[in-house]
Amino acid sequence: MFIVGLLSWWYGAGWARQARAVRDRLAGLYDYFSIDLLLKTLFSPFRQISAGSVRGSIDVQVRAWLDQLISRVIGMIVRSIVMVIGCVTLFFAAIVGIVSLCVWPLVPLTPVLGIVFALSGWVPWTI
Amino acid sequence: MDDLVVNYHSQRAAEARFGVQLRGFMAASLPWTALLGALLGVGLLVLGVSIGWVLVGLAGIPLMLHAYYRHHLITLPPSTNSLTDMIAGDVLGRLPRKPSPADIAKVVGEVPSGQFMAVRFGLTSGLLLSMASVDAGTAAAVWQQADNIREKCKLDQISGAVLAVAIVRSFPDYQAVLAQIHIDDEDLDRGILWQQQLMTLLEKYSKPRRTGGIARDWSFGYIPLLTRFGQNISEQISRGTGVLTVDVASHLEAVMQLVETFGSGGRQNVALIGKEGVGKTTIIHAFAARLLDADEILPDSLRFRQVFLLDAAALIAAAPGRGELEGLVTRVLGEAHRAKNIIICLDNAQLFFEEGVGSVDLANVLQPILDAGSLRIILSMDEQRFLQISQRNPGLVNVLNRVNVAPASETETKTVMQEQLILMEVQRHVTYMYQAIKEAYRLGERYVHDLEMPGRALKLLESAASYSESGLVTMNSVQQAIEKTLDVKVSVASSTEDREKLLNMEELIHQRMVNQTRAVSVVSDALRRARAGVRNENRPIGTFLFLGPTGVGKTELSKALADVYFGGEERIIRIDLNEFVRAEDVSRLIRDGAQDPTSLTAQVMKQPFSVVLLDEIEKAAPEVLATLLQLLDEGILRDEKNREVSFRDAIVIATSNAGADRIREYIERGMEVAKFEDAFIDELISSNQFRPEFLNRFDEIVVFRPFTKPELVQVCDLILASVNKTLAVQKVSVEVEPAAKQLLVEQGYDPRLGARPMRRVVQKAVENTVAKQMLSGSVASGDTITITEAQVAQVFGIEAGHMGGDSPVTPPPGV
Repeated sequence: MFIVGLLSWWYGAGWARQARAVRDRLAGLYDYFSIDLLLKTLFSPFRQISAGSVRGSIDVQVRAWLDQLISRVIGMIVRSIVMVIGCVTLFFAAIVGIVSLCVWPLVPLTPVLGIVFALSGWVPWTI
Repeated sequence: MDDLVVNYHSQRAAEARFGVQLRGFMAASLPWTALLGALLGVGLLVLGVSIGWVLVGLAGIPLMLHAYYRHHLITLPPSTNSLTDMIAGDVLGRLPRKPSPADIAKVVGEVPSGQFMAVRFGLTSGLLLSMASVDAGTAAAVWQQADNIREKCKLDQISGAVLAVAIVRSFPDYQAVLAQIHIDDEDLDRGILWQQQLMTLLEKYSKPRRTGGIARDWSFGYIPLLTRFGQNISEQISRGTGVLTVDVASHLEAVMQLVETFGSGGRQNVALIGKEGVGKTTIIHAFAARLLDADEILPDSLRFRQVFLLDAAALIAAAPGRGELEGLVTRVLGEAHRAKNIIICLDNAQLFFEEGVGSVDLANVLQPILDAGSLRIILSMDEQRFLQISQRNPGLVNVLNRVNVAPASETETKTVMQEQLILMEVQRHVTYMYQAIKEAYRLGERYVHDLEMPGRALKLLESAASYSESGLVTMNSVQQAIEKTLDVKVSVASSTEDREKLLNMEELIHQRMVNQTRAVSVVSDALRRARAGVRNENRPIGTFLFLGPTGVGKTELSKALADVYFGGEERIIRIDLNEFVRAEDVSRLIRDGAQDPTSLTAQVMKQPFSVVLLDEIEKAAPEVLATLLQLLDEGILRDEKNREVSFRDAIVIATSNAGADRIREYIERGMEVAKFEDAFIDELISSNQFRPEFLNRFDEIVVFRPFTKPELVQVCDLILASVNKTLAVQKVSVEVEPAAKQLLVEQGYDPRLGARPMRRVVQKAVENTVAKQMLSGSVASGDTITITEAQVAQVFGIEAGHMGGDSPVTPPPGV
């Protein structure tokens, strides 16, 4: 009865829980890298340096506009780098998650598979 | 529920038992076993030994068991199909085949939720076992009771806490048991919900929080000045070190109003107005936490905004002059505005709007900013201070969006305490019992006046931690905290010494005053009622009117009471009402303590546990008497600042000489006090000396009768005892011969002045004689000076033996 209980949980609620855990982990990473925020603010000035309107002569205004442009470009570069790092991390995390979900149903079979491999005498590497 | 039997062989019961067996070391070692097995297996494979596959494969078993235990067996999801499906896993796994109520009680004592009820409520395993039957046939009643409780509390499972309450309620005389541990039926339900509430809280805080990530603030400005002069609440929340906020209705409403105001296009400011202690700062923390929560539904303009608490003291310290300070504040606010993601919070905002120690009036700088409404600002202020500031500066009120914060209700306060005490327990290394929470609310309501709920109860609960017994904060700890800090007695007399004192109160008082047995008896009864916990707590301990001629012991009884019960004669608050003869004198009676420390309200505020003696009450102006009506009725008087001053721990004694001649007349006619008392009081009313509604406010009106000569001998003895007490330091004592004593009484007797001349007579005849003998060197240490009749006669210039003898005045009947 115990084995039945364990296996029915493993292939039912347990598997679903594992899927939720993978989803939550990906959501957490997505939040950590602020991907949506980075996208929304991709061209915003970085840390508001040289942001805001400036009054004065054309000369002053042009300089302010250039300053702002530089701030926005720096912001875009920094954000893009972080976005790329975030996306790569998310990609690998997703791969690991999918693999774990695929391996999950095989775990109860590992004792049997172990015995079969042992009996076959196959060894993947030797030193 | 039809099926009231636990199915021992069910799948769920087997899983529960397995979970219980696995717990502890075995469960903790599962992942390590899996890892070790896998590593060993791989190691063997690397060495070319194919048996390594077996170890790698077998490592899957502990791995599975670990996941199964952690994610299923510990929490074992319940369902409502049958009793077995409803019982919490930790309980179900410990139950024997056919459990009796006693078996259930034993199991309850072993599981955390049952232990919660034991520690918090005193429903210990021993107590439950003593209430539970050992007959397995009666278990159905306990299960039925448990299911009823589960349904009533809207729970999805029958936990150990539910079963503890079910066992108690299945006991026939359980109300008596609850009374002994100072809780009632409703408290038991509250206990179950409290346990559930803590579990939910634990679950909430164990989940990872999404707060915007690393790039959250990149599109907002740098804030070096703000970081220096402010406290970033949002950062504290991100780090998990913020204030623990509790979702109570009144706070949630205020948070919603903050979100609405800042989320809309109007003026971006909010003034949180409420009395101190209502939780204004907590609301600001709750608001900041909501803005940081990525899962909350919020306008984009508010999401991940940071709340900064400006530190008035740091600003003032950094800028010595007014100009510099205004400049600094302008720069700080400008920085916040430029950063675009800051909500400034001025906690105790009065510090920024009035001149004083640690506060500066910056209305000139702040008002235009508030008026423009572009920088988001929250002001939190005490109601009274807000009114004062608005009176001075009406323009300010017009630009503010006011949000009122009402004091928490009893249920809300208890909920806040139940959650907040978890932090206090960690900080103070104590555990609070539910009884302590209840008592903190009750006593906080009564004695803590400078704060509102829930602050006042929390403050009391915090100070009670210092009076814990073996780390457990009980009802008694809270009572001690109040008793020690306010110097009042709130607990029911329990020590032998206290009880002895109360039971022998009359004797103790009579050690320092003569006769007046009725008066002594009524005040003693009032004290006994108070300390036995049977008095009306919404009134003073006792209110008495002492009527009688001068020198009969009215004031002396008040002093004796203060000395014997309240701990010293300085415990008497004496107001001579002959100084309050004009209507405008009412203001002197209730003046603020800061201006007049001698006003009645100021003195009682400082010393609530005392005898309040209102001397010569008949001379007070009618307006003054009208003011005292509420005091006598409800034990409350409001001072000029409209603060409630409680007289509920005081004995109020009013004395009056009104009708003293009539009392003497009655006595001389040979009437007993009890016979003429009613008629005499009627006379006082009909002669307009007192109004009936005023006299009706007193618990007792006691008529004191004049002393007789034999009683004056006793008074003389008491005065001599006090002289001997003074001389004891010099190891000298004085003794007065009986005849000499009689002579002293003859000289000291004056029907109009009562016992008052006695002290003067003793001073003249005894103290002066002793002083002369001591100065002449005829008295050595350890000597006893004897005062003879001749010496007394000499002092008063009369012939010895002529004045002695029996009293010429016949004592009145009843003496």
